[in-house]
Amino acid sequence: MIDTLFIGLSVGSILLLVALGLAITYGVMGVINMAHGELVMVGAYTTVMSGIWLHTGFLIAIPIAFVVTALVGLMIERIVVRRLYGRILDTLLATWGIGILIQQAVRLEFGLSFFGIHIEGLGPGLQNVTIPETLQGAISIGGVEINAYRTFIILVTGVFTLITWFILFRTPIGTQVRAIIRNRQMAAACGVDVERVNAMTFAFGSGLAGVAGVMMSGFKTVFPDMGTPMVVDGFLVVVAGGVGSLLGSVLSAGMLGEINGVVASITNDIVARAVVFGVVILIIIAKPKGLFSFKER
Amino acid sequence: MTKRHVEIAVYAIFIAAIMLAPLVLEPFWLNRIAKYLVYGMLGIAVALSWGYAGVLNLGQGLFFGAGAYMLAMSLKLASPTSLQQGSDTPVPDFMLWNAEPGSKTDLCCINKASFLWIPFQNQWFGVAMGILLPVCIAAVIGIILFRKRIAGVFISIITLALVLLVRLLIIDAQPVTNGFNGLTDLGWFKLFDFEFDPYLVQTYYLVAGSLAVVLVAARLLIETRAGLILQAIRDDPNRARYLGFDVPRFQTFFFTVSAGIASFAGMLYVIAAEFASPTFMDLSFSISMVVWAAVGGRASILGACIGAILINTITASVSETKGFAETWKAIIGLIFVLVVLYLPRGLAGFAHDIADWFVARVNGSPHRAAAREADGVQPAE
Repeated sequence: MIDTLFIGLSVGSILLLVALGLAITYGVMGVINMAHGELVMVGAYTTVMSGIWLHTGFLIAIPIAFVVTALVGLMIERIVVRRLYGRILDTLLATWGIGILIQQAVRLEFGLSFFGIHIEGLGPGLQNVTIPETLQGAISIGGVEINAYRTFIILVTGVFTLITWFILFRTPIGTQVRAIIRNRQMAAACGVDVERVNAMTFAFGSGLAGVAGVMMSGFKTVFPDMGTPMVVDGFLVVVAGGVGSLLGSVLSAGMLGEINGVVASITNDIVARAVVFGVVILIIIAKPKGLFSFKER
Repeated sequence: MTKRHVEIAVYAIFIAAIMLAPLVLEPFWLNRIAKYLVYGMLGIAVALSWGYAGVLNLGQGLFFGAGAYMLAMSLKLASPTSLQQGSDTPVPDFMLWNAEPGSKTDLCCINKASFLWIPFQNQWFGVAMGILLPVCIAAVIGIILFRKRIAGVFISIITLALVLLVRLLIIDAQPVTNGFNGLTDLGWFKLFDFEFDPYLVQTYYLVAGSLAVVLVAARLLIETRAGLILQAIRDDPNRARYLGFDVPRFQTFFFTVSAGIASFAGMLYVIAAEFASPTFMDLSFSISMVVWAAVGGRASILGACIGAILINTITASVSETKGFAETWKAIIGLIFVLVVLYLPRGLAGFAHDIADWFVARVNGSPHRAAAREADGVQPAE
């Protein structure tokens, strides 16, 4: 029973890691970033590449991936998303196109494969990442054997959730971000540089996707299409939890993760996913604003 | 001469073009184009719900897939392989492969849920269910969502989650649906003892004729009073509500019509392509439909239809060149970003501007100013 709950918790923490970035970009900017899954993929590839080319370890890859995906995210915001504020469904479609572009860029090694140049670590094939030995195997807490890597994921998710919370609620920029969530026009009227804050928020959200990618690469094979299913899961978490509410995303990720874990232990993974989808649909129908949303002003 | 005349002419040219295509195409390409015409029909369904009802349904694949599966079940039972399983009644081959040893080789009891297949021995039951089931699902979804005044992106997310949910259920129900593999090796659709071999020109005409009918019907439908009210609702639901219109009823009706068209397309696809698979309910397929409609013009029935046919035909032609297929995928992604950024009305918006110019040109200068003025007020199409 405890190990089932634990697996649910680790599934939930992965969901949360993917959803954190989305919760911020969607909640603050009203942008549905369908390329978020591809940013996760970029993060995973960064881990692969930094291992091959820089010979750095798995842990060093976390900050590197954060910076790389944040830069990619910044580019996306500057070039495309900036022009689409207020057209939420159009952001969904445009970022879907961007997602395809990123995928193909990785698959075709930025087009270099046509000239016979191959970059080790990119291309259409599967890649693998080795995690440090200390994270392999199991540790025992209170007589229960627990997978070390899953524990590590939960820890990392906790740390990044805390960092996000700190930035949002304890720094001047966070105050501006929350002002924009509540009322964009009013925030702008009070002197908040909405464009600048938006760009930074998008970059930060993308960076979180990169971190999620590093964690993914530790227990899944890395390939160009790996991000697509994740963006859906991430959105369901955000919408079910309540758009713009950090606490809502945390709680709904935990809840959906536990549902997934428990149902999967009774039946199988496919049914578990189906049940999660069903629960989310019911939540949105019953409370379209999400479980833990606050009143918009 | 008015813009109306130009529009009628364009529709006529399009229908003539798809009707005359068999004169120049060989059977292999004819079958391919038939499939793309089916995609064109999906474009119509998307344009109707997205462009006219303002409801971005990211789960259109659910209705396409439901229609496809219903007819495919009938055609599977009509397939020679199903008849040669050593029983009096046809039994799908995959059921036998997975049957428990000693179970009776009959649809009634080969596995727990196989009895669901029994009525599908009649092809017309499959056809009827192919329309009825998706339409009923759509009506129920529509009533629930629109009565609760759920709108915009929430509808997109719910429909998206729904199509993925059904996809998982179909994959999980392996004994009845053949799971990931889908229904393959199907028989041919029969009409008065005529068998629609997918590579026959008659099959092409079945698809092309259906497309022409759906195209014109959809175009006429949005011109009715209900269609106009629907567009009013899209532009401002609250004002429409204050004017006393039953907003959810109109939205549900058009959502259901769009689902019906998608399921009809699903059935035609099964006839032309001879398989049904869970990939019909993939997220990427449902979003692809939206992409086609966006490129062709979301607010134009014909534009969305041509967009779908065009993109797929080009994709098929360039995929023949080795190594270019992947690049083309990237180009599609790029085109999509550019269309959303710079051409939100799609190709149809472009065509409308040309038509305006043409009409003004033909009618001489006094009308030109008037046409320009109208340009600013009239919505696309």
